[in-house]
Amino acid sequence: MNVSDAVANRRSIRVFEDRPVDLALLRKVLEKAQMAPSSMNLQPWHAVVLTAEPLAALSAAMKASKPQKPAEYEMVAKETPAQYLARREAIMGPRMESLGIARDDMAGRNAYGLKNYEFFGAPACLFTFVPRALSANNWASVGLWYQTVMLLLVEAGLASCPQESLAFYASLVKQACGVDDGEYLFWCGMAIGWPDMSAPVNNYARPRVSLDESVKFIGF
Amino acid sequence: MNVAKAVATRRSVRAFIDRPVPLETVRRILDQARMAPSGCNYQPWEATVLTGAPLKALQDTLLATAPDDPLEYDFSAPGQVDKYKHRLTSLGAAMYGAMRIGREDVDQRELFSRANLTSFGAPVLLLAHFPKLMKEAQWSDVGMWLQTIMLLLRGEGLDSCPQEWMGMYGRTIRAHLGLPDDTLVFCGIAIGKRDPAHPANTFERERVPLDEQVRFIGF
Repeated sequence: MNVSDAVANRRSIRVFEDRPVDLALLRKVLEKAQMAPSSMNLQPWHAVVLTAEPLAALSAAMKASKPQKPAEYEMVAKETPAQYLARREAIMGPRMESLGIARDDMAGRNAYGLKNYEFFGAPACLFTFVPRALSANNWASVGLWYQTVMLLLVEAGLASCPQESLAFYASLVKQACGVDDGEYLFWCGMAIGWPDMSAPVNNYARPRVSLDESVKFIGF
Repeated sequence: MNVAKAVATRRSVRAFIDRPVPLETVRRILDQARMAPSGCNYQPWEATVLTGAPLKALQDTLLATAPDDPLEYDFSAPGQVDKYKHRLTSLGAAMYGAMRIGREDVDQRELFSRANLTSFGAPVLLLAHFPKLMKEAQWSDVGMWLQTIMLLLRGEGLDSCPQEWMGMYGRTIRAHLGLPDDTLVFCGIAIGKRDPAHPANTFERERVPLDEQVRFIGF
């Protein structure tokens, strides 16, 4: 699959087929992703992939708990300008519509949000941790690697859903993954599996701002 | 070009061929990269893309200016963790080794580092910036977008070099481009076509083994 098709076809998938992901295939994807670049070559990504029983046990533990306090990290700035909140609403609208949930039905939206803690039915989830000793720019390096993984998954016929909301249960994730809380912060989960492309929530049009709103060209 | 090949052949190119990149190509790539994901669909990335005389004018300004003091963010600190320090020094050893610049040859190393300011001869420079209020999670989003761009460039037979070096000149760059003070200049992406013969573009890149970073449980 060429790169531009992979970029266009990658989308956050929220209905997966009931079919396991083969370890060898997953290893192959992650091996290739090792060549992602990073600031100063630090390669700061650390991850644990859970499947089957261990993943189901984590799901049960999260559903039986309340979001942790204090939060693992501040996901967005409290004083975020309205334009960004509008971008969020722009995608929540069509997503909720595809699910048959009314725009102002907050109870329905929240109930659907709980599907995060079942990884939307994905057979595997990759949990990504960032070393506490490293600064913000290393989060960008982890992002470089993350998108590399997601595009390689698309090429392998697999799909993903990045799930920052799993960080509400960061300490449970660390317990399940055997990761040291002192050394690492839990950033994000990535549900991984085979996409069910017949599901409307996997098909709505995803809004993005126009190119000229975010990029300026000078001298061409 | 398929994704695996784009990932494998993308490398930080530090010597470019003197050949312009058409606006149409850059726009096409950045237009496609808009589909990169971001937390809450914030799309926190912003960029200014320069070429030709305006790029030269910026470079002249940078060459005549000292880095910010204090820096707006410090990319050079691998923390106090030995394994990260080792990864950094292994890159330096491979790169300068290929160029036959010795460890003690501080002048030559400094000179090559300063080539960052002219983006190693790349005809195009993308400066990635975003509002300073963005949190770490949005830095990750910007990273996803930047790698999308770098892989799409490979798909078009083009190359890149991410340059956090530009982050040391945030104030100068903002003033030169008229960007608001609440904007953080994160990094540059030098864009062009690689000089395949240059030793800075041919050394073997080291990565840690997968099992050092990823564990699999339940398979």
